[in-house]
Amino acid sequence: MSKDYDVCIIGSGAGGGPVALELAKAGKSVLVLEKGPWLTEKDFYKDELACCRRSVYTPQLEDEKHVIEEQYRDGSWQGESTEDSGWDFWNGNVVGGSSNFMSGFFYRLKPEDFHLRSEFGSIEGANIADWPISYDDLEPYYTKAETEIGISGQVKQHKYQEPRSTKDFPYPPTSEHPIVKHIDEACDQLGFSSLKTPRAILSKPDMGRKSCEYSGYCGSYGCSTGAKGSSRAALLNRAIKTGNCKILPNAKVVKIESDNKGNVTSVKYFDEKNIKKSVSAKIVVVACQAIETSRLLLASTGAKHPNGLGNNHNQLGKNLVFSAGGSGTGEFTYSKFDKLTADQLKIRGPFVNRNLQDWYFINDKKMGGTVKGGTIDFLLRHPNPISKAMRLKRDENDKLVWGKELKRKIKSAFVSTQDLRFEVFNDWLPTDNCFVSLDNKVKDKWGSAVAKIRIGYHEHDLKVGEYLSQKAIKVLQQMNADNIRYSVSGSPPANLVAGGCRFGNDIKTSVLNKDCKVHDVDNLYVTDGSFMPTGGSVPYTWTIYANSFRVADIIKKRL
Amino acid sequence: MANTTLLNRREFMRLLATAAAAYPLSSLASSRQQALTLDHTIKEPWRTISAVQEHLFPAEKNSPGASDINALQYLQNMMATPDFDTEQRILIHNGVGWLNDLAKKQHAKIFIQLDTDSKEKILRQVESSNAGSRWLSTLLTYLIEALLSDPVYSGNPNGIGWDWLQHQPGFPLPTEDKKYFKMRKNRYRHTKA
Repeated sequence: MSKDYDVCIIGSGAGGGPVALELAKAGKSVLVLEKGPWLTEKDFYKDELACCRRSVYTPQLEDEKHVIEEQYRDGSWQGESTEDSGWDFWNGNVVGGSSNFMSGFFYRLKPEDFHLRSEFGSIEGANIADWPISYDDLEPYYTKAETEIGISGQVKQHKYQEPRSTKDFPYPPTSEHPIVKHIDEACDQLGFSSLKTPRAILSKPDMGRKSCEYSGYCGSYGCSTGAKGSSRAALLNRAIKTGNCKILPNAKVVKIESDNKGNVTSVKYFDEKNIKKSVSAKIVVVACQAIETSRLLLASTGAKHPNGLGNNHNQLGKNLVFSAGGSGTGEFTYSKFDKLTADQLKIRGPFVNRNLQDWYFINDKKMGGTVKGGTIDFLLRHPNPISKAMRLKRDENDKLVWGKELKRKIKSAFVSTQDLRFEVFNDWLPTDNCFVSLDNKVKDKWGSAVAKIRIGYHEHDLKVGEYLSQKAIKVLQQMNADNIRYSVSGSPPANLVAGGCRFGNDIKTSVLNKDCKVHDVDNLYVTDGSFMPTGGSVPYTWTIYANSFRVADIIKKRL
Repeated sequence: MANTTLLNRREFMRLLATAAAAYPLSSLASSRQQALTLDHTIKEPWRTISAVQEHLFPAEKNSPGASDINALQYLQNMMATPDFDTEQRILIHNGVGWLNDLAKKQHAKIFIQLDTDSKEKILRQVESSNAGSRWLSTLLTYLIEALLSDPVYSGNPNGIGWDWLQHQPGFPLPTEDKKYFKMRKNRYRHTKA
């Protein structure tokens, strides 16, 4: 039977984009189904409400929600719909996915991240597993992503610098904020090695995209210049130009059908008019971001897959990981500096682009020897002024503040200090208490069971997060920051999610094989962050892009 | 991207229960009825809300107050947007009823007729109930939004709030046809079940 397309890709974010571009370039017919609308640079403005205050690029929670299961003091796990809690787990349902709204802090994993279990041994209560591929297998694709996405940066040798096949980044670093000088000085004094954070942001125009214009509003805002290397700006626009790739926005996939051999036959979706349609392809690629990918596969039951596609060994949805860590802030009071320095600190526009990886691996008796550590990055406080002022409407006793007192507080927060933040990224250990299943009661507006997410964490994650936070605080102290505060918690950041369909060599302990093909389905691949058995101690996006380019090569060879 | 200002349904039912316990049933019922039948062109509850806004965010010699930042119009415009939360709309209306009922009981006056000290006292009293606190918190939220959101949404006229706080907005700024709820509307035009 002839198929409508060579490849049908479900989801257009960082996992979907590389496969779409590579196969379209190879002359294959590609269909991309995206649940959200097709917005472009012309639709993205620096709007304080659209960014962060309203659900504009994500669904209304009454239409589409999740159920979050948390552990209560009595040990029981209880779920609450995000429609009731307001805890939004969506990240960007538009063409290009949440890569439109990323900050684009881009890091590779280290070679050791590919075999953490062999390297550091097991940790009780954690399901740490080695990857079925090595850093060397992925390295060429990390490199490829640098030019295809447009990654800017500058390599500085340090003790945990990962090997590179090219000397340096294809684009120089983006412009830097004057506060960087103070960070570098403090790190030098402390003997820390401050590194330039690579960014998925063009520092000069290329590939039909403009350079960054440094408006000072980047992470969680859509990019108006095309400099940010979203899947849409960097990959899908080029895939369309080949004439072989079609993108269908507002197309919500509800099920992948399989035949009595267990192979995928067609994809069922609701189109923009809410009419149920079906499309067939030789190969289907799922890349809906980890939680929704597991949900779709769990919902896609068939004769050979009674518990969901690829779930014959009950691994689907298991070992979901987020990024563990914490964050903190220090304030720099302008009146404590000379006027020139104060004026420089006030600047908005250029980036901070600094990180520390001195403790990517920690060798410290206090931590019980050598353990996996993580990354600290520095950034200015989020630029949205409404969120900043909103935090001031309650005092430390949670009482409302209003009148002249509120005005004094707001004025002082805005005009007296520059706030430098740090974020800690460390491994969110995979455990039996962090997974995706289908909720048997709560449905979305199409009548499908929503994803239920159990969000348990491992205590070890907090220990590492605390250790790294203390190092970051040393930097802020060395810089003479005021009012330093931080928090480390086991609360999952919804935008840093992976796992659920880990890849491996054994069908009994993994969903995907090393090619990211579902073990017992001939023509079904997963190319978002779902494949990762462990997450590494950095944001995932570069690894997702790189792996998707790798899988694209594998699929290309088959077709 | 949660809109954390919105009440969730479960919490709202709890607030209503608290409110019913804290206020005479008759006054709650009447204010609810009033709220649901109110037209935006009628002076109340807007007259009271405007006075509360001015108290919460007063104008001073060198800094803008609620009327300078168009706080009332901003709130009205937001409440007129598609998908504005129904429970929040009811809460905003109901709060006016609670406030004026309390003012009448204690002073035989409505809120706008009170002097500044009495206004402060009665608002702090309103704050002491959960529902009252939630009402005031909601008004503060929209005041802060009116102070710092893009002028295209009708608060912060000519960037008066940004100027006061030496805040540098980003660029490009949203235009009339790119207001967030228009983008959202386009998106859901076809897909609403």
